[in-house]
Amino acid sequence: MAKVKKVMLTNVPTLKKEASILDAAKLLVKDGSGCIVILHNNRIPFGIVTELDIVRKVISEGKSLNDHVTDIMNYPVTHVTPNMDLDEALKIIDTKSFRRFPVVENDELVGLVTQKDVVTVISSNLKLHRTIQNAVLVLFILFELFVFIFYKYLGVRR
Amino acid sequence: MAEVRKIMTENVIVVSQSASIKNAAKLMKSKSVSSLVVAEKNQPIAVINEIDVIRGFVDKKKYVKDILNKEFIVISPSTKLHEVVKDLKEKKIKKFPVVENQKLVGLITETDVIEATRDFTRFQHIVQDVILIVFGLATAVTLFYLSPLGAAIFK
Repeated sequence: MAKVKKVMLTNVPTLKKEASILDAAKLLVKDGSGCIVILHNNRIPFGIVTELDIVRKVISEGKSLNDHVTDIMNYPVTHVTPNMDLDEALKIIDTKSFRRFPVVENDELVGLVTQKDVVTVISSNLKLHRTIQNAVLVLFILFELFVFIFYKYLGVRR
Repeated sequence: MAEVRKIMTENVIVVSQSASIKNAAKLMKSKSVSSLVVAEKNQPIAVINEIDVIRGFVDKKKYVKDILNKEFIVISPSTKLHEVVKDLKEKKIKKFPVVENQKLVGLITETDVIEATRDFTRFQHIVQDVILIVFGLATAVTLFYLSPLGAAIFK
């Protein structure tokens, strides 16, 4: 089974918790990965800000871009670890309503996984499983056919 | 494979070019959507999403007409899902307004396509499991029938 570290994004956009909302908005536009992890002491993930937060909590409400990013971030964050199996990570992901999760090792941010990436990799792993299943099915069918022809048409009686 | 009609979002939120960016953001919030179709005379001229709104706001733009995103392909309700998947992968287009009889009737985004594909494969897997169980049982019964024990019982 594949591990979280295989599918995680390692180049995660981050900001210090002292940053402003404007800093976050600019980084979101520049980076394009859809979210920013807010760090405490430059290493521990503290919160997450997404495009949705900027649109729904700032632009639509007329909130100032100079306010602290911590005003609009989602926290506490639920994280996963790099050596977790994807199945295990998906269980955690499915219990939450967010789609993006920081990957943390020894209290330090090492990556980011999205629900979409985890689901995609798990379903492509299932493909091998399905191929084996198809092969077994074909064997079963061939066997039935053989028995059918052998006993019905060749007139072999027990 | 399924037609677009079955998986499209029918309740498309339309915004006019002259609306302010702030109003577009309010609309996204109140309707809980990530994409708005900018239409004129019922014809889609752009599809904007959250990052377009943020980019416009950071660049101090005021109106929706300043942030139009033209990266979309118009499709019809009878377009097949696999054609949309092809455009998603090859052309990297993620927005597909659906137009029928010159009228905007729906919207398909990447998320809709991913969910539909997942539902479809899940259905296929159930069918495959059922077939496997039927043939597995048939094989087991046949083997038992051919075995010495089975022969003794069936005689």
